[in-house]
Amino acid sequence: MRKTKPQRVLRNLLAHHQTAQRTISTASHRQFENKVPEKQKLFQEDNGIPLHLKGGVAEALLSRATMMLTFGGTAYAIYQLAMASFPKKQD
Amino acid sequence: MTHQTHSYHMVNPSPWPLTGALSALLTTSGLVMWFHHNSSFLLTLSMATNMLTMYQWWRDVVREGTFQGHHTPTVQKGLRYGMILFITSEIFFFAGFFWAFYHSSLAPTPELGGCWPPTGITPLNPLEVPLLNTSVLLASGVSITWAHHSLMEGDRKHMIQALFITILLGLYFTILQTSEYYEAPFTISDGIYGSTFFMATGFHGLHVIIGSTFLIVCFLRQLNYHFTSDHHFGFEAAAWYWHFVDVVWLFLYVSIYWWGS
Repeated sequence: MRKTKPQRVLRNLLAHHQTAQRTISTASHRQFENKVPEKQKLFQEDNGIPLHLKGGVAEALLSRATMMLTFGGTAYAIYQLAMASFPKKQD
Repeated sequence: MTHQTHSYHMVNPSPWPLTGALSALLTTSGLVMWFHHNSSFLLTLSMATNMLTMYQWWRDVVREGTFQGHHTPTVQKGLRYGMILFITSEIFFFAGFFWAFYHSSLAPTPELGGCWPPTGITPLNPLEVPLLNTSVLLASGVSITWAHHSLMEGDRKHMIQALFITILLGLYFTILQTSEYYEAPFTISDGIYGSTFFMATGFHGLHVIIGSTFLIVCFLRQLNYHFTSDHHFGFEAAAWYWHFVDVVWLFLYVSIYWWGS
């Protein structure tokens, strides 16, 4: 017996749902999307921002923290070297 | 508007070479402070600045290649030469430790009892955990090759699985070796046997950790679609490094664990 229109619509819907389900189940559980084109656009934007800061505001903070630790540490190392170079007199 | 008419990469100014060099200064002076002045502050600072430099520098390299397209075939050739030369330098680094081992073990002095292993040393059984470690690393060499072939064939799912297995095997090796270090009946202070054993296997272990980290970065990049089937040098570099680590282990196993027992 030929299927009625509602029966055919429902069957197509179920078939599509099954296909969609199959597709999802073979993909990574965490659903990683390909964001590379967005990143390419972001990092190729002609805005004069240097590469190491081009990713966002947080990078300026990370960069500044790195500089402070590095230069601060260097100053401290030189100070310790100066202290070690002139030993205190024993009484 | 200016465009380059050559296929090379003229890198933009970057602060990371400077911070890297300064972190090396902090590492050396930090070691002096730790050895002679009972302070680990500088050393801790050096580790932090080193990690920060490496993270930001390599993050920028990924941006230059994957997001800005600067890694032309010409540039990639240079990167390949660079990685090969670096691994070669590491081979020479390990050669020194093998030289030290063979120097002492081929002609054991009377102070050692005129024998190798020296009197009083109970070496580890090469057929127990060391053999397991050998099979773990060999298997990881197979799985990383599977990952590479899957990548080249565009098989995303299997590439991710194979790389994951490789990383797990690397971590398993590290766990096993840590346990061996804890349980060993001899220490680094136990004469020349202890020194050569722990210096050689210790630096190898460090390289396994570095290699595993490199593989984890590749894993994250693969999840984020950075690699294509014909352009994935970061992964190839990691694979070369991993095979190097495996080969060093084979030399260690045969020389120190097997012949040396």
